[in-house]
Order: sequence, then structure tokens, then C-alpha cells
Amino acid sequence: MRLRRGQKPTRRLAHIWNEANCTACGACIIACTATNAPEMMHREEKGWKSLASNIRRIESVNAQGRPTMLLNQCQHCEDAPCVHTCPFGAVYYTDDGLVAIDERLCIGCSYCVSACPYNVRWKHPDSGLPLKCMGNACLELVAARQQPACVQACPANARDFGDLNDPNSSVSQTLRRLPSRLLLEKAGTKPKYFIVESAS
Amino acid sequence: MNVADLTFQSDVAHWSWTIALFLWFVGIAGMGSVAYYFSRKAPLAITILAAMVIGLLLVFSHLTRWWNLPISLFYAVLEFSFNFQSWMFWGFLILGIHVVLAAVVVLANLPFLQRYWFLRWAAVLNQSNLFLGLFAFVGFMATVYSGFLISTAAGVPLWNTALIPVLWVISASVATVAVIELFYVFGWAEEREAAFGLRLGMGLDVMKLLAIVAFIHISLTVGTMGAQIGAERMFSGDLAVMTWVGVIGIGIFVPLVIGAYTLVAGKKKPLLVVSAVAALSGVLFLRAAVLLAGVWEPLVI
Repeated sequence: MRLRRGQKPTRRLAHIWNEANCTACGACIIACTATNAPEMMHREEKGWKSLASNIRRIESVNAQGRPTMLLNQCQHCEDAPCVHTCPFGAVYYTDDGLVAIDERLCIGCSYCVSACPYNVRWKHPDSGLPLKCMGNACLELVAARQQPACVQACPANARDFGDLNDPNSSVSQTLRRLPSRLLLEKAGTKPKYFIVESAS
Repeated sequence: MNVADLTFQSDVAHWSWTIALFLWFVGIAGMGSVAYYFSRKAPLAITILAAMVIGLLLVFSHLTRWWNLPISLFYAVLEFSFNFQSWMFWGFLILGIHVVLAAVVVLANLPFLQRYWFLRWAAVLNQSNLFLGLFAFVGFMATVYSGFLISTAAGVPLWNTALIPVLWVISASVATVAVIELFYVFGWAEEREAAFGLRLGMGLDVMKLLAIVAFIHISLTVGTMGAQIGAERMFSGDLAVMTWVGVIGIGIFVPLVIGAYTLVAGKKKPLLVVSAVAALSGVLFLRAAVLLAGVWEPLVI
């Protein structure tokens, strides 16, 4: 359900990625594409030069010369620039605290793509839609009270998804127990993609 | 600097030459409307409308879901989902109004259409300072919009500066002065307009140079890493030739040198053509360089 102006979301659904648990197997990336855009399974996202998926794997080497890796995806910001910039209101907040897209209202202007500080949107080559997490199939899973595809596929329990408003949810418990960080926190977008820094 | 996820805006959002040309045409049409308030001539009116139409066609061709525009407009009206926070929404409104006003001005300037009694209202409007003041204001706002459109795209830190709308207005004014100079060469503008344009153009060139230096300097020195990388690309990286030769050399120094020579030695029409074409090219190169230089803030260093 679309959140009306001035309305507060009933839930604050958020993703957790535990970088210490993650084995970098890529199962979440494949599961995301297979679930939400199966037609893209063998097609590259040209801008990112990787599999077209709502999860993007970024690899680097840290100052000590050790390999590092980040799984990046939509942060479902509570003050999302993509929502502010979409001219016809195609990008909106749901009452679950997610950022979603209404395909009927999208003209493919790419303003949401260039407005996202996290660079998580990719343009579907056939539909022209600026896609991101969560895809329609995952939204259906969440509506059916199931976990999104990436969480279900992760063999290392490195991913979780749940309601931050519920103190008993697994995500709330993890965030209370373990240190975590947010990406580009200073951008002021109030992101809800938490990177947990120690193994559970 | 080991930046793992350096992604060019032009590779993902694809805001490159098509959008640069769109911004260029909108700038010429926008500040051209301001010039029209002072110089009410048919060639300028036609140029404004043509620039608007070409600019709108370019931006329309850039939409990856252009076929959905009528449907999305229908639902946006039905559900009143318009986003008043979005500069692109305001752009739709401003450009829509501007193109209608420009069409009225062109109607008034075409004698063969003014033979028809039912089109004569256009000539009446074209003599109204209030109407032409509104036309100039909407044109100015169209140029301002084209700057805010870029500077509010939060994903590209190089663009997130208040300088861009100012730079766009200054450079669009330079382009309009260049158009007036070309009209003078073709015999469509008076000498006093060309003489005023020459002095105004030189002042604007200096302002433009200052604004470009400020834009690059501030981004390079105190910008975020994404802004620094973008500015570095313009200053000494893969876009340096476009910046130094296209934007500054051709776009600013050639018109400045020709302007200074003209002030001393008098007007020479071939030189005025070179100066005007150089100024117009420089304005386009500026928009292209700023767009192409945009990169996302690196998340992993």
C-alpha cells in the first residue's frame, strides 16, 4: 500500500547483511535475478559490468592488501532521494517502510537512477524500468509473510530481513547484539540496509 | 586511490550527449526569450521555438518508457500523484508553458498567418509588455530548471552544487548573445544590438570563466570523493581536452580575443561568425563535460 503524505509506515522493514558470516558465494545475487528478473539470468548490466541483479557485488583490496567485498542494494531509505525526484510519483514509500515503483506511472526518465547515492538502480533493457531491490516477486513473498529470495538462498545465514519497529524481530535482536554500520550515513537519506560487522 | 566501484553516471543513467544537447537547446530558447523582450524579431522567435521543439524531442527520445507517457500522465492526473518536490515535474510544467508561449510569439511574427483574422490575437499579445515579460520570465525559469535538474540529482556528488544553475544561466546568456551576433551577420539584427551584445558577451565570458574555475576548484578541494574524482576527470583526466580546449579555449578565449580585437579594429563579419560558433560550441561542451564527468560516490575504497 502506498504511504500517503504525512502518514507513518506501520512497519519499518529492513535488510541486514552480515559481512563476517558472508562467504561471498553469490547465491543471493543469483537468487535475486532468478526470482525477480529470470529473463536477465544470462544478460549483463552494462553499466555495472556484472549480472543484472538488484544486489551488486563490489570487490576491492584494503590498505593492508587484503581482499574486501561489499554487497550493495537498495537501502530503502526513509528520506529517499529517488522518491523526491520522481516527477509523477512512480517511486513511493509503502506502509511497510519500503521504497517501491509503480510501473504505470514510470516514463523511464532515469532521474531516480542518477538521484540514488548508492547507485543501486539498473535499467531493464526490455521494459526500460529502473529496477532495484525489492523486485515484484520478492514483494509478493514478503506480502505472503515469507523472507525475500536472497535471505532464503543464503547458505551462511548472512542475510536477514524484518521489522525494525518490532523489538522481537530477528533484525532488531541482531542489531542490538552486534555492531553494525550504514553506508553513506552522512548523505542524510536515513538508509535501512545494515551491515553487521561480526559473526553471529 | 583504489576505488573499486567507480561507476560513471553516463554508463548507468545514460545522461550524456542527448541530455547535454537538450540542456543546450533549453538554454538557448530560455535566455533567447529574455532577449526577445528587448529585440522582438521574427528570426529570434523562430529560433526559440525551434530550439524548444528540438530540445523536447531529444529529451523525449531519451525516455526509456516514452510510450508510457500518456498512460502515466492519465494516472498521475487521476490519482493526483504529481511530485511537487521534483524539479523534473516543474520542468514538465515550465517547458510546456514555454513552448506554448513561443508558438504564440512565432504566430505573431509570421505575416502570412496574420492574414487570418482568427490568428490576430497573437499579434496583440506580441505587443503586450506583460505577455512578453511573462515569456521572458518563463524562459529564464526554463534555464534555471535545467540547472536545478542536474544539481538535485543526489547520486552524482559533482553536480550537487548551487553553482550549476548559475553557471547554466550565464552560459545560456553567452549562447543567446552568440545567436544575436549571428543574426547581425545575416542581416537580421541591428548594429546597435550587435555592439551591445559584443560587450555583454565579453563580460559574460569572464563571469563564465570564473564560475567554471569555482566549480572545478571547490569540487577538487573540498568536495566528497565522488565530486573530486569528477572534477579531476574534467581538470586533468579523460575529459581534460574537452574542458581546456572545448569549454575554455574555444568557448571562452576565442570569443574574448575576437571581442577585444573587434573593439579595437571594428567589426569583421567572418570573425563574428567564428566567435559566435565558438561560443555556442563552448556552451555545449560545458554541459557535456559536466554531465560526462559525473561519477557515483565510491562505497568501497
